[in-house]
Amino acid sequence: MAKILDGIRVFDLTLAAVGPWATKLLGALGADVIKVEAPGGDRLSHAVPPMIKGNSVLYISANHNKRMIELDLKKEADRAIALKIIEKSDIFVQNMRPGAVERLGLGYAVVSKINPRMIYLAASAYGRIGPMAGESGIDPTVQAFCGWCGITGPEHGRGEMFRHLAHLDITTSTTIVQAVLQALIARERTGRGQLIEIEMLTAAMALQTTRLAEYFATGQQPAPLGSAAATTAPHQAFECEDDRYLAIGVERDEQWPGFCRALKLDELISDPRFATNPLRVTHRTELIPIVGERLKSKPAAWWMIRLNKERVPNGPFLTFEQLRAHSQVVANDHIIEIDTPHWGSMHVDGLPWKFELTPSGPIRAGGKPGEHTAEILAELGIVDDRRADVSK
Amino acid sequence: MSNAGSLDGFRVIDFTQGLCGPFCTMQLGDGGAEVIKVEPPGGDFSRRMGPPFVGGESAVFLSVNRNKKSVVLDLETSYGREAAARLARDADVVVEDFGPGASERFGLGYAQLRGGNQKLIYCSITPFGEEGPLRDAPGSELVVQAMAEYTASLGRIGDAPVRVGADVATLNTGTFAAQAILAALFHRLRSGEGQRVAVSEFGSLLHMRGIMWHSMSDPDDWYGFHLDHYTNPPDCGYQTKNGALYFILRRGSSEDWDRLVMELGMEEALADPRFNDYGRAATSIGRYATEVKPIWEKAFASRTREEIIDLVKSMGGDAVPMMDYPSLVSHPQVEALGIITQVDHPTAGYFKMVRPVARFSETKDSIRMPPPLLGQHTEEVLGAAGLTRLTRTDSQ
Repeated sequence: MAKILDGIRVFDLTLAAVGPWATKLLGALGADVIKVEAPGGDRLSHAVPPMIKGNSVLYISANHNKRMIELDLKKEADRAIALKIIEKSDIFVQNMRPGAVERLGLGYAVVSKINPRMIYLAASAYGRIGPMAGESGIDPTVQAFCGWCGITGPEHGRGEMFRHLAHLDITTSTTIVQAVLQALIARERTGRGQLIEIEMLTAAMALQTTRLAEYFATGQQPAPLGSAAATTAPHQAFECEDDRYLAIGVERDEQWPGFCRALKLDELISDPRFATNPLRVTHRTELIPIVGERLKSKPAAWWMIRLNKERVPNGPFLTFEQLRAHSQVVANDHIIEIDTPHWGSMHVDGLPWKFELTPSGPIRAGGKPGEHTAEILAELGIVDDRRADVSK
Repeated sequence: MSNAGSLDGFRVIDFTQGLCGPFCTMQLGDGGAEVIKVEPPGGDFSRRMGPPFVGGESAVFLSVNRNKKSVVLDLETSYGREAAARLARDADVVVEDFGPGASERFGLGYAQLRGGNQKLIYCSITPFGEEGPLRDAPGSELVVQAMAEYTASLGRIGDAPVRVGADVATLNTGTFAAQAILAALFHRLRSGEGQRVAVSEFGSLLHMRGIMWHSMSDPDDWYGFHLDHYTNPPDCGYQTKNGALYFILRRGSSEDWDRLVMELGMEEALADPRFNDYGRAATSIGRYATEVKPIWEKAFASRTREEIIDLVKSMGGDAVPMMDYPSLVSHPQVEALGIITQVDHPTAGYFKMVRPVARFSETKDSIRMPPPLLGQHTEEVLGAAGLTRLTRTDSQ
């Protein structure tokens, strides 16, 4: 069955995670993604551990659904091949340090002349203007800079990094995919391509829109609250009698009476201190000890039964070993296992969307650098005359 | 068409509440779509998220609802259901988060609507996915973070859990929902076919943690930041005399490296194999970064953050201060990029927010309307849809 991006070709000049994860998603939607790498590839993508059979997991995981071509864009013959691929492409994605792609002669001004229908996506850490113009950055540096460590950490403790050092990378990737799709829609209507610029910093701040709003409203830095939400209550982890933590989230007023019944604290339903969410947030320091003491009196399993009956959001703190076989995960293909040509069977991220009519996927492992060079050139009718070039 | 957005002319009927669906539809509105936010008489529950409140409105609500019109319809009444179905049948996109099966109860299921509109794009958002034992379970930001093991990358083993402070389960999923809708709209432009799409918060977070699942498939050895981070202590950056910073070395040369080591008085590092290759494995995501961090911090203790940042940059590394919101929002780079903008709201006045992320050279995203008051556009929208008489009949 047809996929959504059938017939759309992506010229992928991406590095590390931000760009590659975006083009991987475009590939999952059916685009023909041609990943262009210099011989040897970029160091960050290929050298970062952990490794599987000698290849970096970062490289493997961010480059599914693509074909790999090696071109040394600093050489004229290779660059000529790149330009021919660009002529036949719809989307150009690059996340090189600002200025680097222009030095390769593949900036938007050049590419749009060759192919006016090109949708050209330039992603960077901090953009091309301002005092930090041209500075490069990766997930943890953007984490540090964008303020989000200041709102994350134990209550009364120091702010800390999210040690899964890819979340802001992939947040930026998803913004790229969204912008490219918008531009494809626009091109369908206008016939023209365009330039799109995205900074990791802006994407990271947009992801904090709700927390920044608290700051804009109060002028006060929101403090780390451990597991607790700042603007809903009770919405945090509670330790139960068996020393397990249970995540509970009362976000809506209609969930409050059920929560009280589940805890057999019916008297709280009519307690005026806790009648609405704003009151519960305001009286958090009175509310949490009452609720916490009750939850500590029985095991987590008991509270899960009772909270589920009342349809109050709750859940355990799971780990990968539990997740990979979890019936909910399996039923929805949230994590799947695929065979790969070079790395054996792997657990990989499932697709983030389901389409009823135009199936996305299946997820297909990419390859090693340059693995598909001959195949791609033959398919596009591009003569590889680089050997002749060398003999000159 | 310099002022045109890429989604001009598309109409979105949004039945969602909270943060996820509204963040999705706000992005569609930024792109130029007309977004009709259908709210129950009591309003979207996010209108009660807080304090803080500004001019009677929740700051959180304001942050995810610009570029929308608010229409109040009580789906518990037959008029409300009829009016909602009429709006939905005439729309390009419907977004709902009622939960599996619940939309049918209101006559707003995909099968019920598509008969009158074959081109409809219908997006369903659930907490955990539409199959499996938790298909009907309610979720929350923390519950989804906990179940997707997000908290395993924060805090200290044995201590109380720590969540990601940002609302990642809801907001990242909102972006995936927007993607799914845009992809389906593109397909519709090429084929004429509408369809139903679905996303879940649990699935979104598990997708975004995908590097982890790869890492644990069959790693050659158990090291590297994706694996070590489970057992590493909290990372609060590198402390200096006057605040924390974060840095990475990656483009150094031998000369630069010697200069860095001398200036920091870290000659011991020259003989330490963990600092080989100009310290590349000794900072940030490098293999030895966590274990050699005290060595760096000892050297940084007598120097200012600005000195270290300049030093690292002078040898081609990246270094930034760890910032809080006051320093971030007033930072010249944030100002240069125009990341913070503001809207003029009827009761909250000028309220600041983060601009649309992507900057398009042609079909630009824009902020055209402040977040709506509850029901602010009920008469306008229902009137234009020819539902005014129905309104009168209903109120009699």
